[in-house]
Amino acid sequence: MTPNRVLPALALLALGLLWGLDLGAIQPNRIVPGTGHGLLSALGWPGAGLVTAVLVSIGALALAPLRHRYAIILVLVSLALALLPLAPELLASRHLPADAPYARSSLGAGFWCLLFLLCLMLVEAMGRLNAGRWLQLALLLFVAGSWLLLLQRDGLESLSLMREYNARPDKFSQALWTHLALAFGAVAISAVMAFALALKMIRTPGWQRPILGAVSFLQTIPSLAVFGLLIAPLSALSNAFPFLQSLGIRGIGWAPALLALIAYSLLPMVRNTFVALTEVPESLADAGRGMGMNERQLFLRLKLPLALPVMIEGVRITAIQAVGLTAVAALIGAGGFGAFIFQGLGQAAMDLVLLGALPTVALALAADALLTMLANSLRPAPLAS
Amino acid sequence: MIELKNVTRRFGKAVAVDHINLRIETGEVCVLVGSSGCGKSTTLRMINRLLPHTEGEILVDGEDITGMNPEQLRLNMGYVIQGTGLFPHWTVARNIAMVPELLKWPKERIDARVEELMTLLDLDPATHAGKYPQQLSGGQAQRVGVARALAADPNILLMDEPFGALDAITRDNLQMELLRIQKQVRKTTVFVTHDIDEALKLATRIAVMDQGRIVQHDTPENILRNPASEFVENLVGKQDRGLKLMSLRPVRQLMTAVSDAGRPDPGVESVGEDDSVRLALSVMVWQSASSVPVVNGKGEQTGVISRDRILQDGA
Repeated sequence: MTPNRVLPALALLALGLLWGLDLGAIQPNRIVPGTGHGLLSALGWPGAGLVTAVLVSIGALALAPLRHRYAIILVLVSLALALLPLAPELLASRHLPADAPYARSSLGAGFWCLLFLLCLMLVEAMGRLNAGRWLQLALLLFVAGSWLLLLQRDGLESLSLMREYNARPDKFSQALWTHLALAFGAVAISAVMAFALALKMIRTPGWQRPILGAVSFLQTIPSLAVFGLLIAPLSALSNAFPFLQSLGIRGIGWAPALLALIAYSLLPMVRNTFVALTEVPESLADAGRGMGMNERQLFLRLKLPLALPVMIEGVRITAIQAVGLTAVAALIGAGGFGAFIFQGLGQAAMDLVLLGALPTVALALAADALLTMLANSLRPAPLAS
Repeated sequence: MIELKNVTRRFGKAVAVDHINLRIETGEVCVLVGSSGCGKSTTLRMINRLLPHTEGEILVDGEDITGMNPEQLRLNMGYVIQGTGLFPHWTVARNIAMVPELLKWPKERIDARVEELMTLLDLDPATHAGKYPQQLSGGQAQRVGVARALAADPNILLMDEPFGALDAITRDNLQMELLRIQKQVRKTTVFVTHDIDEALKLATRIAVMDQGRIVQHDTPENILRNPASEFVENLVGKQDRGLKLMSLRPVRQLMTAVSDAGRPDPGVESVGEDDSVRLALSVMVWQSASSVPVVNGKGEQTGVISRDRILQDGA
C-alpha cells in the first residue's frame, strides 16, 4: 500500500492558504470595501483548530497504511464540504455589528481556495475508490442538500450574496428560467437542425462543403458582433410585420439572442453528428445490407446507435458553450443571469456580479455532468476485454 | 442452383467481370479462386445484388434476380465476410438472431435457433451468448459470423474470404468445421479465396478466375491433373502437384484391408481411414517405416498402407 502524495499536498496547500488569506470580510455597506478576517479571527480558536485538525488528519490518513483510508477520507471530505457554509455563518455571528442594518459579510479568497481544494480532494478520493456513477450522484446530492438547508437559516442572511438574492428573489428565479429557456432552447433547436443538415450532407455529398463552410463561418464571428448585427434586420422585420411584435420579436430581447445562440451551436453539433454517422465502418453496413437489411433498418439499428454517444458529446459541448454565451446575451436585453453581472459591474457591486456568475458556472457544470452521464449510459458495448 | 449467363460488370470503362458463365449446382461448394483484382469478389457480390451486373443474366433456382426484391433475395442467402462484420453494439446472441429478427420469427423460436447454432459451431451458449464481439477471439468471432449466416436456414451461403484474416491454425480448424457442417446442412455455397490450398480442401468444384474471366471450372482433382493453361498450372504449383493430389485422396482408397479387427499395439503410430494419403506418407517418412496401420473411427485396425503403394499410385 503506497502512501498517497496528492492528498497530503492538497491538504498542506489548503492549510497554508487558509492561514495566509482572509476567510471573509465584514463590510459596513454594499460599496465600501470591508475589513478582512483571517481563519483565527473569523472562527476563533475552537473553529480554526477543528478545520486545521480535519485537514491535517486527511493528509496523515493518506500517508498511513490503513485498509479503508480512502473511504474514511471520502467521508471526512464530504462532511467538510457539506458543513462549509457554517464557516461564514460563524464569522457573521462573531463580527457583524448588531446595530448596522446595511452591514454585510462576504466570502474571502481563503474560503474559495478551501472549497476548490476540498473538491479536488473529493475527486482524488473517489478516483482511488473507483467510485461508481451512483455514489458520485449521491455525494453531490448530499452536499447540495446540506448547503440548501444551511443557506435557509438566519445566520447566513447577512452574507452579501444572500443579501443580493433576498433583494430580488423574483428576478432571480425569472433570470434562471430565462437563462435555461434560452440556452437549452437554442441547443434543442440546433440539435434538430444539425441532425437534418447532417443527413442532407450524407445523402447529397455536394452539400458537404457549403454546409460545413457556412456553420464554420458563423462560429468565427465574435459573439457580441452577431448580437449587434442581428439588431438591425430584426427591427426592420418586426416593423414591417407588426404581428411579429406581438410575439415579442424585436431588434433586442430574446429573439436575436436565440438566433445567435443557434448559429453558434450549429458547428459542433453538425460536425459531430456528421462525423459520427459517417464513421460507422463500411464493412458493417456491407454485412447488414448483405444479410437483407434495408437502408432504414441499417440506419435505425446500426448507424444511429453507434453514432449516438458522439452526437451527445456534440450536444454537451454545445450546451456548455450556450450557457456561457447566454450570459453575454444580457447585453441586448435577453435577460438571464448575465443581467445581474452587467448590472453589478455598472454599480461596482461585486456581490451582484457573483450572484449572476456563480449560477452560470453551476449550470454549465450541471449540464456537463448530466450529458456525460447520458453519453456513458448510451455507450452501447463494453470495450474489448 | 445458381446460374450466371454471360455476366459482365464494368466500373466505368474498366471491365471487372468479363462475360462469365458459371453454373453452381444445388448443395455443392463452388470456390472462386484467383489473385486479387481478378473479379472473384465482384462476382460474389453480384449474386446477392450488392453490386448490379452490367450485362447478362443471373438466375437463382431458375428465377432472374433482377426481378426480385433485393432484401428478400438476400434474406435467403447467408453472407459471411472477412472482417466478420458483426455489429459491435449487439451481443453474440443478437448478432446471430439478426436475420430471424428481420423475418419476424417469434422470440422462442429465435432463442432456440440461436442456441442450436451456437452448439453446432462449438460455441458454449452459456458463456458466449451474452458477450460482445470485441470480447471474442478472431476464430470465435468468425464462428459467430458463420452462425449468423446460417440462422434463418437459407438455401445459399456466400462467403467472401471468410478465413483470410485468421492465423493458420485457427483457419485450418474453421475449414474442417465448415466441411463438417456442410456435410450436415448441404448448402449451395459460393466461397471466394485467393488461397489455392483452401480451395482444394473445401471445393466440390473450383472456378479459377483471371482478369475477369473464368479460365477453368472443374473438380479439384481435374484442376490438378489437367490444368487448362499455364496460369492455372502456376497457380496450383507445377511441381507441388503430386503432394496436393495426395492430400485430396483418403487413405481408404489405397490401403490393403486386414480382416481381423484388433487394435494396433499402443505406441505404434497409426492413421485414420479418412486421413489423407499425404499424411500417411509423412508419418512413414518421419518414422522411416515402410508401412503404417490404418484404423477406423473406433480405433480398430482395418487395414495397412504401404510406402511403395503410395509412391506407385498416390498421385
